[in-house]
Amino acid sequence: MNLFYHDHQTNTHASWDDLIYELNQTSISSNICKDSNTYNVFKCLILSLIVDMPITLLDSDFTENEVSELLGRTNNEKHEFLLNKPLIKNKKELLSIINQNDHKEWELTLFTSGTTGIPKKVKHPFSTITRNVKISDKHNDDIWGFAYNPTHMAGVQVFLQALANGNSIINLFNSTPLQIFKLIEDFQITHLSATPSFLNQLTTSEKKHPSVKSITSGGERFNPALMQNLSNIFVNARFKNIYALTEAGSLFTANGDLFVIDETDKVKIVNSILYIHQSLLGNFDFTDEWYETGDIVEVVSNNPLTIKFISREKEIINVGGYKVNPHEVEHAIKSIKGVTEVVVYAKSNSVLGNIVVADVVQDGSLTESDIRLQLTSYLQEFKIPRVIRFVENIELSRTGKTKRIQK
Amino acid sequence: MRDTVHQIINTVLANRGKKLIDSLNDSMRLRDDIGFDSLDLAELTVRIEAQFNVDIFEKGIISTVGEIFERLK
Repeated sequence: MNLFYHDHQTNTHASWDDLIYELNQTSISSNICKDSNTYNVFKCLILSLIVDMPITLLDSDFTENEVSELLGRTNNEKHEFLLNKPLIKNKKELLSIINQNDHKEWELTLFTSGTTGIPKKVKHPFSTITRNVKISDKHNDDIWGFAYNPTHMAGVQVFLQALANGNSIINLFNSTPLQIFKLIEDFQITHLSATPSFLNQLTTSEKKHPSVKSITSGGERFNPALMQNLSNIFVNARFKNIYALTEAGSLFTANGDLFVIDETDKVKIVNSILYIHQSLLGNFDFTDEWYETGDIVEVVSNNPLTIKFISREKEIINVGGYKVNPHEVEHAIKSIKGVTEVVVYAKSNSVLGNIVVADVVQDGSLTESDIRLQLTSYLQEFKIPRVIRFVENIELSRTGKTKRIQK
Repeated sequence: MRDTVHQIINTVLANRGKKLIDSLNDSMRLRDDIGFDSLDLAELTVRIEAQFNVDIFEKGIISTVGEIFERLK
């Protein structure tokens, strides 16, 4: 297919020829890209690769204050430069520049999207960011449903996978489930990569979508029940679970929730917390040999080393000294008849430090005390949400993950 | 305000399956007489704050119904 990018929200429809024409017409570019149109972010990335110059990606919804805080703090200045690049004849020539050059000067700067504290700057050379990019003829006809923020690690990695193979990209991010189903049908999308929260929206489909051959989930804890539900709709899809960090790129993949670790000398587990060796990391303000991921894992087997992710350490809610795993509470609430969606988070509290709060989408048959009383059979009292809010829908954050923030 | 606080206290009690109180007087102790534990008190502060925009425990522990009204003044 000659389509490069389609976005129904911005009414953008560009073939590879359109893209190449626009690249050839562009004579000035910037080292910093902040643009609400995903197509323009992709063009920035491609131009930076063609001319082999560093590029910084910023979320388009960062405020001016945030930008000056981020860039000022890191002595990073925006400047525009004249592009000194050859005229690109066709798609084949563009792909050979992307795939065959070593991109020695190119470096990608991203800011982590942590929910607390100031975002952290991380720089990646081409080699770490493309660690898991697979280029082969069997990927020639892949059609990607793009479901991440393009300025975040996962989005960049999906984009580079699609770009390197000359694929078509259909933007699904921030679309409603009905729009997504239509785009999957209209464009016969073959590959989806998204967070479990994003994929969860797709379980409402009344139709099967046989065109999808591969679904990759990442960024949040893997949910076996979700995969089961999706497999009834995406009947031809293979499922893959990915563990990635903005600080390191994609690290491990699994078919289910068990990750078999090949490079055992590059990970260690101390007090159930996963540490990654510095040789797997990009560059950021960090000098130790081992990086603490904050992810709590369970070692299922030592030979070969097999781990399962239990939760993010920082997601654990501390209620007066008692530790609450929000996933466990969500799982219990979801099992109540009438509940369709739930997110559990901490709210700061002057009595106990934090209390557990839940936002619940339900069919109208339940009251707050119904849920609370039912939970007493599933959960210890301190894990039961003290406040349950009934909401129309669960808002996704700009990373596509369910928001679980301190309120 | 009195009736609202009474209602909030009963909501917290009902959520725990505890016995509701018929009437409220200032000398009632939150833990001993009403039967609240720390989790209930935490919930009580959230619900009162949502209603009156005051965190009744912000300036320290309180133990009686009368002190709630003191903080809400």
